Amino acid sequence: MESLLLSAIIFIPFFTALIASILRLSYTKLRSFSIASSLIVFGLVLFLAMQYDPHGGMQFVRTVDWIKNYGISYHLGVDTLSLVLLLLVSLLMPLLYLYMWHENRKGYWYNMLLLQSGITGTILSLDLILFYLFWEMMLLPIYIMIGRYGNGKRQYNANKLLLMTMLGSMSMLFSILYLGYTHFEVNGFWTYSFEDLSVLTFTPSIAIWVASGFLLAFAIKIPLFGFHTWMAPAYGSSPTPAVVILSAIMAKLGIYGIWRFGYTLFEEILVRYSYHIIILALIGLVYYAIVAITQSSLRRMFAYASGSHLSLITLGLFFANIYSWGGSLYFIITHALASAGIFLMIGLLYKRTNTIRIKDLGGIASQAPLFAVFFTFFALSIAGVPGTGGFVAELLIIIGAFKYDLWIGIATASTMLLAMLYTFWMLQRTLFGAVGLATQGFKDLSKKEIVMLLPLTILLLITGIAPSLFIPFIEPWITITLETISQNIGGL
Amino acid sequence: MFALIEQFYIILPMTIVLIGAFTLMILSHNKSFELKHFNLVAVLFLTIALAIVMIQFGNIPKGYLFEDIIGKVFIVDDFALLFDIMSITGVILTLLINTDYFHSRSYFNGEYFALLLFSLFGMILLAHAHELVTAFIGLEIASLSIYALVGYHKNNHVSSEAMMKYLVLGSMTGAFFILGTALIYGVVGSTTLNDIATYTNGHNNEESILIIVGATLIMVTILFKIGAVPFHGWVIDVYEGSPFPITMFMASTFKIAIFAIALRLYLIDFVSLHGQWNFILQTITILTLLGGSWLAITQSSIKRMLAGSSIVHGGYMLIAITSVGAGSQIAVPAIMFYLIAYFLSAVGAFGILSYISASGIKQLTYEDFKGFSERRPYLAIFMSIFMLSLAGFPSTIGFLGKFYIFTAGVESEQFLLVGLGITTAFISIYYYFKLIAMMYFYPKNEPQTPIRYTFSSALIVLMAILIIWGGIGSSLIPFIPSADALIDIAKGAINSIG
Repeated sequence: MESLLLSAIIFIPFFTALIASILRLSYTKLRSFSIASSLIVFGLVLFLAMQYDPHGGMQFVRTVDWIKNYGISYHLGVDTLSLVLLLLVSLLMPLLYLYMWHENRKGYWYNMLLLQSGITGTILSLDLILFYLFWEMMLLPIYIMIGRYGNGKRQYNANKLLLMTMLGSMSMLFSILYLGYTHFEVNGFWTYSFEDLSVLTFTPSIAIWVASGFLLAFAIKIPLFGFHTWMAPAYGSSPTPAVVILSAIMAKLGIYGIWRFGYTLFEEILVRYSYHIIILALIGLVYYAIVAITQSSLRRMFAYASGSHLSLITLGLFFANIYSWGGSLYFIITHALASAGIFLMIGLLYKRTNTIRIKDLGGIASQAPLFAVFFTFFALSIAGVPGTGGFVAELLIIIGAFKYDLWIGIATASTMLLAMLYTFWMLQRTLFGAVGLATQGFKDLSKKEIVMLLPLTILLLITGIAPSLFIPFIEPWITITLETISQNIGGL
Repeated sequence: MFALIEQFYIILPMTIVLIGAFTLMILSHNKSFELKHFNLVAVLFLTIALAIVMIQFGNIPKGYLFEDIIGKVFIVDDFALLFDIMSITGVILTLLINTDYFHSRSYFNGEYFALLLFSLFGMILLAHAHELVTAFIGLEIASLSIYALVGYHKNNHVSSEAMMKYLVLGSMTGAFFILGTALIYGVVGSTTLNDIATYTNGHNNEESILIIVGATLIMVTILFKIGAVPFHGWVIDVYEGSPFPITMFMASTFKIAIFAIALRLYLIDFVSLHGQWNFILQTITILTLLGGSWLAITQSSIKRMLAGSSIVHGGYMLIAITSVGAGSQIAVPAIMFYLIAYFLSAVGAFGILSYISASGIKQLTYEDFKGFSERRPYLAIFMSIFMLSLAGFPSTIGFLGKFYIFTAGVESEQFLLVGLGITTAFISIYYYFKLIAMMYFYPKNEPQTPIRYTFSSALIVLMAILIIWGGIGSSLIPFIPSADALIDIAKGAINSIG
């Protein structure tokens, strides 16, 4: 039974969508189906987390031959990194369904179900071809959701997202093929399992090409500075559930890719060139933050804020010490929760006012105090105010940065300041001041909306106040992984 | 050496196809016969032929038919039988999936089906040909029927123009084949593939210069037929001008048959010339990939876009052929897999187009598909699946096809070609997803039409399921061949060619 657990987690949403589409359910039934499937998956993931041993390395591994001629297998497994992301996805999905409660366009629900399958598949697959399959699969629902249910120049922005992401995927495919073939040539049999491929060694001149193939895909997904042109338009045009997934989960998958595949397949290259990527991420960190200040639309502002923080996570990854890695993994959790919260609230705000232009808003606090409290809380968690989880994570990354290099540490620490700047200024203009035209008669949060936001709030508070509850869970994995890497390349 | 009775058993499928063609021709004089009867008769004959070939496949030792009478002209091996299976299945599917279309156009009649079967007969001959003149006869039988079929809509000037274009250019390139054969005969003194191979293996390139010239001329004909750049001038206009069933037939089935002879020639006959040719083939592959992509991008009609993209798909297969020359072991099964993958996707895509246009719309442009997902949600899903498969999106058979081809390219260190192949695959995302975007991103611009559940729509569903199964199919479910089994079959067939 346990061997089927991971497959069940991946495919329950998919089959829900398939069965519902064959039965041609009405949207209320489809809604019940979707919520039920997401709750079942959440239950299964919790069960999985309970069984999981933080010291145990890769667990629940399942390998079934798929295409034997080329050694491609259906190869799943879970470790701390994937479990963290898995927990986040399965937690967010029911909340998003709650947000979509009155959504009567059925395609919306189908796409969300397929999206969940794609994302969990990406997180759990350990075979590179399988990973590539799910990596592409999760793009499609997002593409359709932006293009069909989005706003603004949705068709154009959806296509931009698609083409840029596909460009990355194609270069990754090339690298995957090259890895597989090299393994065949060196060891005499085909395999695409990343554990087998990680034993390969390349000369630096070839390794850099193989690594860039992967890094391009991940850099576009994150997005690092220079690969970000799709980000703001796509975030701006997405419907709320899609933007929550984009920011909270899909962007993290770029980080996940570097972590899972980068640091096993070509760790030497990553360590050798880490300085370049750190500079790129630093530019992104500061640049996105400054651009965020200048934005006039809430969603675009938080898109850039999200980009800035993802650059911070990337920084933490490339400092490659125990503090920064702990911080990065911790930030993945807290940023996902906080950005999901803030984008959901922007969605609620849009439902009420039909605008997300900061200029048109104002004075919400006086009319809807509860809304203002939640909104402030999430915004402050994004900025990393002490008491929220973001603070702990940012602190850890900054400590790691100082350990890496003094000046880079100082530059990294600037993120705290810049984030405070754009958050507080935004809060001042939207929540306080005179009541804007759009915000007249602003309704406060309903019970359903509070239920939707409460889990995120509680988790953010716990991660902020009592990080010691979570650190023992993620620390063993980081220690082991760092040790393995430093053994492989002879010292970091 | 086969016993006499065995030889008749082997030739049975071909004979049935031929008898079927003649029967249809005679029946077409009977005015009381309706179109669906002709369709039924044709499918009936083909199904019997297919069943026999299926039984024969894998159970017949390699040999030559009527060897004591005509020599080593007509080869029987698993390779040829596999191509027989593919071509016959192709024609059956073309006939069935277009049922609606046949009824919606008044110009179809009994001879149409006869011509299709004659063409199929030529293709089977082509797959079994082990001698250049026989190959030419097979090629011309197949082509001549297609010339007539392209211009079948007599009153339509586009159709007639397409036929003229194809007829003139096709006959001219056919002459290249004959000239090449003559040159080779002049050197070797025989046109049997074995003799040519023996000669080229025994002599160095200085002595066999005429063979190189002759083989290159033959290659021109083959490249013309698969629409490689720079021999692609006819493709778009002919595909556009032909009735849908014929476009489908040319894009999928006819291409398969051409690759049958191309592979046989390249694998047995001209092995020693690989070094000479590789540069030419590489150049042509690059041109085909880029030129085809350019043509596909610039079209506004779906039919023309599919025509342009069929050139690109030819380019992918040329990558694999180049890899064969560069010493790849896995390239040939990859081509056969790709042929099947492309065949399924193209038949599906053209099938939907013909199904839609059966209800009256003549021009099918991107614009016509605006809001299609609201009018026909299920058809839109299937169309998306076909587009995804053509684009090589994972979880479809098209992805595995490209995966095999690119792996073969990497194996023979053709990094430039594989890089370019991946780039064109990326470009193809644009024109395939444009259709998906049209279907899903725009509101409907015309009222809902009632949905007809016909045999054609059932087949479209079948195609979609096959495509998905071919992409993800595992051996978990017993008795259903997985994606893996398909490549095993192809490998077995290649080994039989020897």
